Amino acid sequence: MRWLPLFLSLALPFGTLAAKKPASPADTFNDFHTKAISTTPVKLADKSYKKLTASPRDYSVAVLLTAMDARFGCQLCREFQPEWDLLAKSWLRGDKNAESRIIFSTLDFSDGRDTFISLSLQTAPVLLFFPPTIGPHAVPGVEGPIRYDFTNGPLLAEQVHAWIARHLPGRPHPAVKRPVNYVAWAVGVVSTLGVAGALAKAGPYILPIVQNRNAWAAISLIGILMFTSGHMFNQIRKVPYVAGDGRGGISYFSSGFQNQLGMETQIIAFIYGLLSFSAIALIMKVPRVADAKKQQVWVLLWSAILFLLYSFLLSIFRIKNGGYPFSLPPFM
Amino acid sequence: MAVASASDPSPMQVLADFGKSKSLRTLLRVLILCFIAGAAVSSRLFSVIRFESIIHEFDPWFNFRATKYLIANGFYDFWDWFDDRTWHPLGRVTGGTLYPGLMVTSGAIYHALRALTIPVDIRNICVLLAPAFSGLTAFAAYLLTNEMTTNTSAGLLAAAFMGITPGYISRSVAGSYDNEAIAIFLLVFTFYLWIKALKLGSVLWGALCALFYGYMVASWGGYAFITCLVPLHSFVLICMGRYSTRLYVSYTTWYALGTLASMQIPFVGFLPVRTSEHMPALGIFGFLQLVAFIYYIRSALSGAQFKAFLFVGLGAVFGLALLALVAMTSAGYIAPWSGRFYSLWDTGYAKIHIPIIASVSEHQPTAWPAFFFDLNMLIWLFPAGVYLCFQDLKDEHVFVVVYALFGSYFAGVMVRLMLTLTPIVCVAAAMASSQLLSTFLSVKSPKVKDPAQEDVTDSLSKKTKQNAGGSLRSANSPYVGVYSFLSKGLVSGIMTIYLLLFVLHCTWVTSNAYSSPSVVLASRMPDGSQHIIDDYREAYQWLRQNTKEDAKIMSWWDYGYQIGGMADRPTLVDNNTWNNTHIATVGKAMSSSEEVSYPIMRQHEVDYVLVVFGGLLGYSGDDINKFLWMVRIAEGIWPDEVSERKFFTPRGEYRVDGEATETMKNSLMYKMSYYNYHTLFPPGQAQDRVRGVRLPDTGPVLNTLDEAFTSENWIIRIYKVKDLDNVGRDHAAAASFDRGHKKKKATKKRGPRALRVD
Repeated sequence: MRWLPLFLSLALPFGTLAAKKPASPADTFNDFHTKAISTTPVKLADKSYKKLTASPRDYSVAVLLTAMDARFGCQLCREFQPEWDLLAKSWLRGDKNAESRIIFSTLDFSDGRDTFISLSLQTAPVLLFFPPTIGPHAVPGVEGPIRYDFTNGPLLAEQVHAWIARHLPGRPHPAVKRPVNYVAWAVGVVSTLGVAGALAKAGPYILPIVQNRNAWAAISLIGILMFTSGHMFNQIRKVPYVAGDGRGGISYFSSGFQNQLGMETQIIAFIYGLLSFSAIALIMKVPRVADAKKQQVWVLLWSAILFLLYSFLLSIFRIKNGGYPFSLPPFM
Repeated sequence: MAVASASDPSPMQVLADFGKSKSLRTLLRVLILCFIAGAAVSSRLFSVIRFESIIHEFDPWFNFRATKYLIANGFYDFWDWFDDRTWHPLGRVTGGTLYPGLMVTSGAIYHALRALTIPVDIRNICVLLAPAFSGLTAFAAYLLTNEMTTNTSAGLLAAAFMGITPGYISRSVAGSYDNEAIAIFLLVFTFYLWIKALKLGSVLWGALCALFYGYMVASWGGYAFITCLVPLHSFVLICMGRYSTRLYVSYTTWYALGTLASMQIPFVGFLPVRTSEHMPALGIFGFLQLVAFIYYIRSALSGAQFKAFLFVGLGAVFGLALLALVAMTSAGYIAPWSGRFYSLWDTGYAKIHIPIIASVSEHQPTAWPAFFFDLNMLIWLFPAGVYLCFQDLKDEHVFVVVYALFGSYFAGVMVRLMLTLTPIVCVAAAMASSQLLSTFLSVKSPKVKDPAQEDVTDSLSKKTKQNAGGSLRSANSPYVGVYSFLSKGLVSGIMTIYLLLFVLHCTWVTSNAYSSPSVVLASRMPDGSQHIIDDYREAYQWLRQNTKEDAKIMSWWDYGYQIGGMADRPTLVDNNTWNNTHIATVGKAMSSSEEVSYPIMRQHEVDYVLVVFGGLLGYSGDDINKFLWMVRIAEGIWPDEVSERKFFTPRGEYRVDGEATETMKNSLMYKMSYYNYHTLFPPGQAQDRVRGVRLPDTGPVLNTLDEAFTSENWIIRIYKVKDLDNVGRDHAAAASFDRGHKKKKATKKRGPRALRVD
């Protein structure tokens, strides 16, 4: 008599399993969770994707739809994949009992062409988050998946982690743990020691170079010329090196006061450098030429450079700033 | 040359001799400096002459308001000032969160003039403070340059450059009553005092330097530039093996007194011992003690091994101190670099983490035309001047080199820091141009030598080549001079043209680019006459006259100071962007739909909302163009509720016309900007002249706001926030009822008609 309820309760799951073909959400979760323990994120195909995201869910799913094949040339996918793997792994490690009930999975375009078509996706990667539809964590009113925006900022596991954690309130959010890169540390330490040792050994030969005034002067001038010709702007804004002019040619100077091209800044730095150099030559070199004739030639040469280049510089500046009224003779 | 002048003095020689009398030279120099100061002041008066004596832009309005408070309530009240009319409902501890130097300076001038029975309006002092200090800056540049060269004309050139270069004028025109107005003078003067102290090794000059450093700290947040540059200079000197007792005395005096002085400012407080940007100064202070100790021991003992040991020990201590600093920073005892400073190194930092810093236009990187625009020919004379510093490379020249490198890096990263680069550009360029001019303008010509003598000089020059291991290669051969008058005439002619062109350029730039008050806009009528657009003041005056004394105005933070200063009404956020969340709240209210925004506005007791709209006039600095920053800042705090992506069409365009996204069309900002705008035009021709697009014929509908005021050119639009409905309806329903629509709810609920069977 006392055994009967127990038998019945034991038989109940079997009964439901036999009666209903589609697996219960809990089973699906367990199924995929065991898969996840061996390899996370779970690699999906069309069929398993449908099964995992089928509607009555008491668990959450995060699917990264990606296109890793070299044919698609998806730079973003390849950059993000290691971060995604890292996030899935550290989540699984931090949540051993699967209390957060989330499955991390990846669907590659080559395995899931139909899914891509059915979602009418034009771009990759796309990160979808399926909240649970039943159970204690179900979000009422949310039907379809929530899509993560890949438009802003660099793709870091931490940012995606924060996004997922926002959608999983009240459950554990194991933090992203980046593995210690032992190789990088070893390489760093060895190379530091190596460089230090080499410096100590080669010190007597290097010291004259380090103490050479001409070298420092050159370094300083190059630095100043680089910074004053907008190198940092190129770095920060990542401007193109050259641009087309719309007629098949190359335009070296972008019009507009607030933008510039990589090539353009190099031309400007070169002009500044030559102008400075001619000024330096006139100040330092010319008065030290002992021969009067030679000196005359040098003066003429450097003044010509000074005059022509400055006139040229002004003409370039007039391209950038339309209303600039000043100019000097040759390039009016 | 004594031979030449003794035999037959040429007219030129007479002229040259005339200038040789010492007292006459001094007189000339004083006169020239006075003229330079006059030029510096007068070139900054364009805006006063064209418009009127008015405070410019945004931040100056706060400074002006604070100055008025200082004059009215006295120094102690000012120090303890809690301002409940900004950042409603939080308020701001203004006295403890501002740099008081500027206000105290103008307050002191005001009281001094009063004491001399000169009745002067405080506004005029505030407007003219920056030009007046620019004259002093020119003088400070003169002093600083004279420390660098023996050539006294270089100082005068530097003063002239400093006086009129647009890089400095940009922040110091009349009416630009901002911290930079006095801070650049203090910067240059502090550097002069530092060089002087270093040269003489004098405690007096070091203390003076600390005093002006304290004044600088009280005036501008950019004081950190001095705090970092002076230790860096000292560090480079030590690395070059140039440690001296002069360095020790001047640095320790400056650091000890200067840090104490800077800690007197409530806003700075204990930052000098607690934040990373002050750590180099502290570290070098400690390092210098060690170096001094070791030099002392070395003088007492001898032995090469001992020396080597000491230097290794020195390096180890330096490394350990650095490690300790890192450890203390990560443990939280020392605050890491604040966002603004950190973004100077990691240039992508601000864009990701602090959009509010990235949103400010003067925090953008500098494109090359801006350098040329602000410095003209100085920009290429500058490297030449730095090169000349390598010729002697005394301690003060090292300073120029270090300053030049760092100044140009910072100026390249941030447009605003062009200001800190400008002084050194003027000094270096003046050194180069004065040396060029004095080489080619000297009347004396060397005699052409015969070949026999040339051999001698050749061998001589070879000898000097061998001697000069530590000097520049270009200075190896002996100095001869310039022979022909053709050369002299040519080069000095070119330089004269360039200098004249420089003056023209500076005047043109100042007059065209930097003299607009931006509160008052100028435009040209078709016949060429000037037309003044005064919408800002019109609107602020309206607020002042038509609203309650404590009506809260919500606007984007750019206009907070102006509303506080001109309309004298409490604001939610202003240009002192200390509370990102509060700004994001306003951003959320602006970028959400009315149903979301209205509760936010109610919670913050907002009475009026002010937006700036340039569509009618083609004024590009309006709120729709700034809108994405509001969205971004709001998204930083509420990523679930505000999403930047939703403001872009599926094709990734930011549009305001009929194709705009639903989120865009429903946002409060869009509605307020374009409300009733289409009625100005004949049907189908409504046009936005900033974005250059045609707008749909039906304008947006506003339910929770009433249009209260729109300025003459529609630049400022003010809306009144509706009170709750009397009958308890929601605003959409009430507004729909007012428009004459029937209740929709009733028709929907009725269901299909059924025959009534009794």
